Amino acid sequence: MNRMLAFADRNRKEILRDTLSYIFCIAFPLAMLVIMTLVNTSIPKESGMTVFRIDNLSVGIAVFGQAFVMLFTALTVSKDRAGSFLVRMYATPMESSDFTMGYMLPMLVIALVQNLLIYLASLVISLITGPAINPLGLLASMITLIPSAVMFIGFGLLFGTLFSDKAAPGICSILISVSSFVGCIWFDADNTGGVMLTICKVLPFYYCTRSGRSAVRLDFGVNTWLVPFVIVLACAAALTVLASLVFRSRMKADLS
Amino acid sequence: MNMIETKNLTRKYGEKTAVNDLSLTVQEGELFALLGVNGAGKTTTIRMLSCLSKPTSGEAFVDGHSCTRESTAVKQVIGLSPQDTAVADHLTVRENLEFMAAVYGCDRGEVKTRADRIIEEFRLGEVEHQRAQTLSGGWKRKLSIAMALISDPKVLFLDEPTLGLDVLARRELWKEIEKLKGRMTVVLTTHYMEEAEHLSDRLAIMVAGRIAAAGTLQEILAQGGADNLEDAFVAIAEKEGIA
Repeated sequence: MNRMLAFADRNRKEILRDTLSYIFCIAFPLAMLVIMTLVNTSIPKESGMTVFRIDNLSVGIAVFGQAFVMLFTALTVSKDRAGSFLVRMYATPMESSDFTMGYMLPMLVIALVQNLLIYLASLVISLITGPAINPLGLLASMITLIPSAVMFIGFGLLFGTLFSDKAAPGICSILISVSSFVGCIWFDADNTGGVMLTICKVLPFYYCTRSGRSAVRLDFGVNTWLVPFVIVLACAAALTVLASLVFRSRMKADLS
Repeated sequence: MNMIETKNLTRKYGEKTAVNDLSLTVQEGELFALLGVNGAGKTTTIRMLSCLSKPTSGEAFVDGHSCTRESTAVKQVIGLSPQDTAVADHLTVRENLEFMAAVYGCDRGEVKTRADRIIEEFRLGEVEHQRAQTLSGGWKRKLSIAMALISDPKVLFLDEPTLGLDVLARRELWKEIEKLKGRMTVVLTTHYMEEAEHLSDRLAIMVAGRIAAAGTLQEILAQGGADNLEDAFVAIAEKEGIA
């Protein structure tokens, strides 16, 4: 436990002392929140397009921000693997679970703080532009989105373990684009329907925004919240186990 | 007492044999240098002794523990400073040291005490709060060795500790390494003759994965029929058909 916490603390410091973390994990999502709010003011009400309305947008941006936490997880792991830092750590009594939990824990804390900042900004925007968001709804949504954060961090750990420090950011960028699109952050798949909706429903990202948006409205219906939430929870668990197994297997191969 | 013992240690990478039938012993408190050109098998040997690589055949023991079957016990008693400095770049010198102490299970008080002691011992005070990424090569090497020492290891492995350093930084680091003599067992790899000559109690010359000669400096000179280590090294390597 001590070892894992020490490693987690090192990772937290490494990320928080990198200016790029603030730009991508905080500034960029907040800028997108403001920009899309401005875009929303130009959309005629008659169009019935609500995806950029602040109660929907806030959740979309929160999930979008989590994708950048994935990028930084992948960067941290792949950089450690590329240099000799992990070699030194492999020669200590640390186990593979100390490494995986040590990478995931600080990322989860960063994702929670990021979500909090996005929701605080959303709350302020909602008071200015309306409709006003219920703070309790935002709190419920923050809790609902924890498995989503774990899932993205799991992806980051997996990509950081499997790919080099040159390739991992590229792979993550692709997933950031895909997840924001099929996660229905920038368009309303339910109203679009057809093949697009089917594709969205095959991947887990749609369920992240769906469960988060339901929670903001304090709608905890089985189909609107519970089922999407359980799907994301299952994906988060699967990704965590998969990423941990892959890391362990890579570590074993490195030490063979 | 033998602190390190290898028996017919061999490591192959496909068709290439990196370490070939290596048998050696290192006594407790001894500073033992593995001297050889690039690719001689020095780093592979260190990797096997620090449980970072498994031998293809043969066995290695550190403090009586098998490096393959009891790696957890071995890792508790060793410290490693790899060839690349391997420090956490965004952490300060003190934070790097405290981090390593915590990894070895020290509680908060002990972490601070050990970091204070090492900072004083290695005269790291002037860069204590400086981030590792801003340090010069010499300071980074010093920090890397200090990190390996924070757990009070019984055995310290230094892989090419002065590689790429200027002459002043190298001499400065030699002083620190010399202070360790007798306190713990130190195995260092180097391809600098004067480094092995200056620091080691005993040394081994590795050629193409084999120990071509081992003993005290005087014994090596006698084996090579030379009056300086460089000539002895060349003579021994030539005998092995390398030079």
